[in-house]
Amino acid sequence: MNFKDWIKDSSKVIIFDGGMGSEIIKRGIKPGKIPDFLNIEEPEVISNIHKAYYDAGSDMCQTNTFGSSYLNLKNHRLESRMAEIIAKAIENIKKVCPSNGLIVGDIGPSGEFKPPVGKATFEQWYESYRKQVSFLEEGVDLWHIETISDIEEMLAAVKAVKEISKKPIISSMTYKKTKRGFYTIMGNSLEKCVQALENEKIDVIGANCTISSNEMIELTKELKALTDIPISLKPNAGRPQLNQDGKVYYNQTIEEYKEDMKKIIELGAKIVGGCCGTSPHNILALSEIIKSK
Amino acid sequence: MSQEQFYNDISDAIVSLDKDKAIQLANHAINNKMDLLKVIERGFGEGIRRIGDLWEEGEFFLPELMLGGIIMQESMEILLPHLKSSDDSFMLGKVVIATIEGDIHSIGKTIVATMLSVNGFEVYDLGADVPAKKIVEVAIGKKVDIIGVSALLTTTMIGQKKVIKILNEKGIRNKFKIILGGAPVTKTWVEECGADGYAGSAIEAVKLVKNLLGK
Repeated sequence: MNFKDWIKDSSKVIIFDGGMGSEIIKRGIKPGKIPDFLNIEEPEVISNIHKAYYDAGSDMCQTNTFGSSYLNLKNHRLESRMAEIIAKAIENIKKVCPSNGLIVGDIGPSGEFKPPVGKATFEQWYESYRKQVSFLEEGVDLWHIETISDIEEMLAAVKAVKEISKKPIISSMTYKKTKRGFYTIMGNSLEKCVQALENEKIDVIGANCTISSNEMIELTKELKALTDIPISLKPNAGRPQLNQDGKVYYNQTIEEYKEDMKKIIELGAKIVGGCCGTSPHNILALSEIIKSK
Repeated sequence: MSQEQFYNDISDAIVSLDKDKAIQLANHAINNKMDLLKVIERGFGEGIRRIGDLWEEGEFFLPELMLGGIIMQESMEILLPHLKSSDDSFMLGKVVIATIEGDIHSIGKTIVATMLSVNGFEVYDLGADVPAKKIVEVAIGKKVDIIGVSALLTTTMIGQKKVIKILNEKGIRNKFKIILGGAPVTKTWVEECGADGYAGSAIEAVKLVKNLLGK
């Protein structure tokens, strides 16, 4: 059993996992270092979150390495601990991954933008991601490059992955809804991103974060119209709010999420999951949808 | 060329992100001893407002917003020295702005700082990951009118409340107007913190600050 078999199986909808950061916050972990560092400081918490997603029905879960690119770790003064963070991340997920589950190497944005917004170059992005990929490669079955706002940064990450790995790649840009359609904050249209990713022969084209499941229905329709490559959708659970006790909650209900995701699956999404604010309850909802198909 | 046409040419240069043209027109205004306050407000200011509208409409994105801000800043660097010697009323107030401790998100805050600066405010941008205590220290030291605190994470929003708590403990809350910004900030949060307002965009921030200071 491997990912490519799942992709070829037209009857299978692959269940991804949900948010990691929001689950960490729920467990009362105080803010301080980035979630990736909790691989070292709170390995049981991280393993338990992974296990909760697999138990809820996730076919595959991401390593807790969203922020572990060299550039991002450097911003948090943690670049010297990169190898250790990633090694622990792999260890934490391996010990709970079931025999029929897969491990996805999570690659998030570097946090650095190109001019005029920032000073990053393609080479800097590429080198930063190459370092991350080199530490992660052995422990994963496939890759998810996610929450990227600049298609050039995505292409740098793809180049880095392909340099070292032959494993499948899911590429997810993050889009906002504008009056003119879906765009990244750097101004890349959905069409331009799909074109670029098709040129790279990416295995799965995805979208995650920024918007919730309701807006992702329209995004799914547009993606299906633009490409025959399988698609992956991981929406947010609404917008984060603080309640009177200072605790974070997300304002979307599981019922709302479930209704939206039914439509997204009917429209032909191959991989579904959740991003910020989603939890194992969202994944259970996905499992229920798929069981009832 | 009429003055109106001149102001339109400036505004068009800003919206077209034509830095050379914008600077050429700034120098033209100085060399021809034009009313620089009007040139700034009706030419450059109008241009940056149009950029803000295009951002809201989804026509312009971060790169255009930043470029527009850079062009404005460079134009202001040319114009302001000629203005300060004759008319200090251009300076509408002082602002200290920062992203709160624990949070390194800074793009939105930087755009707000740029927009305030080019709209006539003296801005002290402390950057990101700034402790509440430091924000208050600078506010007191520089005798600012407005304190702006940005947070993009629900985990770091608590720091915005801390800034106001420190001001209250020092008995100087009433000396400042406090504005909050960042994606998770809501009207309810602003009320709970006891802040004076929040802005969902850089354009709104400029309007809010002007309103709070009665400008």
